[in-house]
Amino acid sequence: MDTLTLALLATLSPLPAFFVALVLLNNRPSMAQAVAIFGTALALLGSVGLLLQGPTEPLRFAWFSSGQIHLQFGFLLDGMSLMFGVAVALITLCVMIYSLGYMAADPGRARYFAMLSLFAWAMLSFVYAVDLLQSFIFWELVGLASFFLIGFWYEKPEASAAARKAFLMTRIGDVGLFIGILMILPLTNNFDLPALLDPDTGLVKLAGPALSTITLLIFMGIVGKSAQFPLHTWLPDAMEGPTPVSALLHSATMVAAGVYLMARLHPLFMAAPDTLHIVLAVAAFTALLSATIAMVATDIKKVLAYSSISQLGFMLMGLAAGSLFAGVFHLITHAVFKALLFLCSGVYIHHFATNDMREIGRRGGRSLGATTLGLAIGAGALAGLPPLAGFFSKEEIFAALGHEGSTLFYIAALIAAFLTAYYTARMFFLIALPDEVVKEHHDDSHHGSPQPIVMLAPIALLAIGAVGLGFFGAAIAAQLGLVPAHHEIASMLPAVGVVILGMALAYFDYGRTAAPRRGFIAAVPALHALFVNKWYIDEFYRAVFVRLNDALSALFFAIESRFFDDGFDQVGHSAIRAGSGASRLQNGWVQFYAGATMFFVGLAALYIGLR
Amino acid sequence: MPILSSILLVPILTLCLLLLMPARAVSAIRWLCALSGLAASALSLKLFFAYDSLAGGLQFSEHVSWVEGVGISYHVAADGFGTVLILLNSLVYFTGVLTMWDLGHRVKEYFVFMVLLVIGVYGVFMSQDLFFLFFFYEIAVVPMYPLILVWGSGNKDYAAMKLMVFLLAGSALLFPGLLAIYHEAGMQTFDMVALATHSFDAEFQVFCYPFIYLGFGVLAGMFPFHGWSPTGHVAAPSAVSMLHAGVLMKLGAFGVLAVGMRLLPAGAVYWAPTFSVLAAIGIIYGAFVAMRQSDFKFVIGFSSVSHMGVVLLGLNLATLGKAGADALNGAVFQMFAHGVMTALFFSTVGFIYDRAHSKTLADFGGLGSQMPRAVSLFIIAGLCGAGLPGLASFWPELLVFLAALETYPIIGVAIIGGLVLTAVYILRVFALAFYGPPNPRWEGLRTQDMRGMQLLPRAILVAVLVFFGFYPNAMLNTINQTTAALLGRF
Repeated sequence: MDTLTLALLATLSPLPAFFVALVLLNNRPSMAQAVAIFGTALALLGSVGLLLQGPTEPLRFAWFSSGQIHLQFGFLLDGMSLMFGVAVALITLCVMIYSLGYMAADPGRARYFAMLSLFAWAMLSFVYAVDLLQSFIFWELVGLASFFLIGFWYEKPEASAAARKAFLMTRIGDVGLFIGILMILPLTNNFDLPALLDPDTGLVKLAGPALSTITLLIFMGIVGKSAQFPLHTWLPDAMEGPTPVSALLHSATMVAAGVYLMARLHPLFMAAPDTLHIVLAVAAFTALLSATIAMVATDIKKVLAYSSISQLGFMLMGLAAGSLFAGVFHLITHAVFKALLFLCSGVYIHHFATNDMREIGRRGGRSLGATTLGLAIGAGALAGLPPLAGFFSKEEIFAALGHEGSTLFYIAALIAAFLTAYYTARMFFLIALPDEVVKEHHDDSHHGSPQPIVMLAPIALLAIGAVGLGFFGAAIAAQLGLVPAHHEIASMLPAVGVVILGMALAYFDYGRTAAPRRGFIAAVPALHALFVNKWYIDEFYRAVFVRLNDALSALFFAIESRFFDDGFDQVGHSAIRAGSGASRLQNGWVQFYAGATMFFVGLAALYIGLR
Repeated sequence: MPILSSILLVPILTLCLLLLMPARAVSAIRWLCALSGLAASALSLKLFFAYDSLAGGLQFSEHVSWVEGVGISYHVAADGFGTVLILLNSLVYFTGVLTMWDLGHRVKEYFVFMVLLVIGVYGVFMSQDLFFLFFFYEIAVVPMYPLILVWGSGNKDYAAMKLMVFLLAGSALLFPGLLAIYHEAGMQTFDMVALATHSFDAEFQVFCYPFIYLGFGVLAGMFPFHGWSPTGHVAAPSAVSMLHAGVLMKLGAFGVLAVGMRLLPAGAVYWAPTFSVLAAIGIIYGAFVAMRQSDFKFVIGFSSVSHMGVVLLGLNLATLGKAGADALNGAVFQMFAHGVMTALFFSTVGFIYDRAHSKTLADFGGLGSQMPRAVSLFIIAGLCGAGLPGLASFWPELLVFLAALETYPIIGVAIIGGLVLTAVYILRVFALAFYGPPNPRWEGLRTQDMRGMQLLPRAILVAVLVFFGFYPNAMLNTINQTTAALLGRF
């Protein structure tokens, strides 16, 4: 097939599936499911076909012309988009198949599958976009699909609030991104990515404060989308959506979009060292902040959510330290093992109807053997245990940080990696090695198997990826047109050391038979409270920004009703008063008319006489 | 076939037929109006495609002298802007008739006034003669009064009166302004094409422009003379709100464009900074006030103040700076996009109101599971209002933001930040009325969700929003040349 057909197949095929599932098959969920899966499968075929064809020239079509601006939309088919496109389509398909089991009893699943298709379409179109504005459009649509999926159970007030929060927090970032993008336009009159990134004629030449401003504004959008401090608070709340949605949101779509955008624009960022410092600082702080919260959370999805925030910080650190490969590699491995972890957690949640890791453990979480094996692999990969995928990609980030000579950030990353190993192992131990197991009798007749094949197959596939993907680093680097640096064993030691240390500490706290089952941090109650309360950031926002917004809208509302509305009424009333006052002159009283006439004639006479 | 006169003639003939029909022939009246809307839409589409966008300029000109002594003539022609707005009017006319399909109260009289309003709007968009422009303008404005008073709801006497007072005050400014233009030119003609060749004295332009801008601006809902608009929206019946917010407010902006900016360019440049600031305040102000409203229609009403602020800002920025083409394209595109979007808003809210007899947000809650289709349509309109890409409003906002950033960076940053405010008030409506646990009071509505023919008008509007959202060139190609020509005057 020719490239255009493949590209259209890869991006557009979920769109008709979305429409058909939502509008035509809303009352026939099983058909809607089939249509949605078919659409995404086609997209996967298309993206694999594109990958096999290898990088080619971008395809472009006229799209928008106004004044000096002429924009083209199309497909950018370089190594990065080809690779990531396959990852997106594959993970989305896994999640859809898994959802066949997870959502089997939900009456609204036609809408659910339609929204997943919308998600796939928006994300794939974002990945292949050739034009920065085109990227922005689908970036926003990815956000829209997240909004609908996070709020999928919109009858629950928490879900509705979480969806709203996600939309607003990312939108705050998007304001910056939008301004940044619009600032580019007068300089170039187009948004064509290859042209913008051209080392000789592109924006890189601009350098200086202008480029720093633009990249910083773009980074604001990334902070929102990839849930970095201070806009990260929406992501943990987004857990209100169905668990497979979380798997998708945290791996290959939504939050990945931010990192992907930074990877796309990497040459621009590299030309703006001021911005890079800020990115490094924000990402390192976020990685630490969210790791501390994850180590005290008891809700399995919250642990995973904060770990996503932390790992996204790692990716951005890698990119900001100058290594495109490190960032993209970790983005891809993380997508696989994080999807795996969420899908595993979904099995427990589906079966035990609780998110609390301690309860899952006590009620026999480990009896779901295949899932627990998947959890172990995913946890190992997340912790960075060799030779699982996460180890290799995290290693690249450490290497990049080490090369940069930024000791401070290197140490911050080491601490964050230590905490990651700690909370990941803690999660695993709480589920797999509980202090006691309460046997409970399960009535399987109405529940079905706890691990149906449609749920296990995606888990198995992702587990294979989480084990093996690390060895494909060289191939991934080659796709990006880079040669991976060779790392000495000695340089890996600190990172491996902190991972082992973290896991050992978690075993000491939670795993061993006589474990106290409370974290070491509980020894410092103030810190423990700070972490449990998520550093009081939500409270701070509520107290300051929400209140400020309420006050301003109250002020404007008062102006509208008191000044404009009442003012208008006053004008009307005075007109009426003036009219009724004037009408008193016409009282039909002949004597009054005669008197008034004589008065005014007298006045006129006086005036003439005195002149 | 003179296409513009044909378009104008469709509603005029409809009106004549309506007047001859017995009031009890309700069904025939509805069908007549629907067919008339369909015919007008078909003709407008034909106009849209027949308009030679590469050539640009005024096309399909028809000229008949009328009162030669003072130089009044029936002169209609369409440029890119007129073409687009005529299409908008047809669209809102047709979908508006379908929206009012279930009306039972004084059906004949209702449609008489509505068709009269439509005639006026068509007339304004195609007139090239100042006299006829003003004549049609008044024809479009006056039927609002009976329409709100008789078929409205809530505080309708007050709303109708307030609307009339504001709009007639606007006309009172406008009329002397128009006469002054006629007098100052001294050409003994009301023909705008001829008047446009006269270069007016700069001082006169500076003096006269505010009359035109404020006179028309009132109708466009300009801050601080917007007060009539939300009140009027709320009290008016659905299709009247659709026409009112969808096309009538655009008459104001179009008047500024076709009379003020075309005939008095130096005046427009002189006043642009002042009016830009007012428009920007309107954008932010409307969004904040919308945030605290407790009534569906008031939220939309104030969102219109905010969105029309984008149009007015675009018009003013067009006269300044090098991004003028973007600003003007954005303003005209926004007129169209906002028209379709508010039509969808009011059409849907009207549907819900007709069944629930409430427009108070707090009365609802969880309506999403009871009327999923109606709610989905409202959500689409809401997302369009929030400037979501993929829906038509995104492009004009982009263009105006771009121009604002270049001309007045502070205003640009402020109004782009306003996107967050828009999202806040739109999402607030969703959260209050549509999400959350379903309210048992509305369980009866489950069986009354939109179906069949009721979906048609809304589906048309959604399709238009999505089409222009993904293919902006369909709009921009039509207006680009006209924009360039108008900018040549500055």
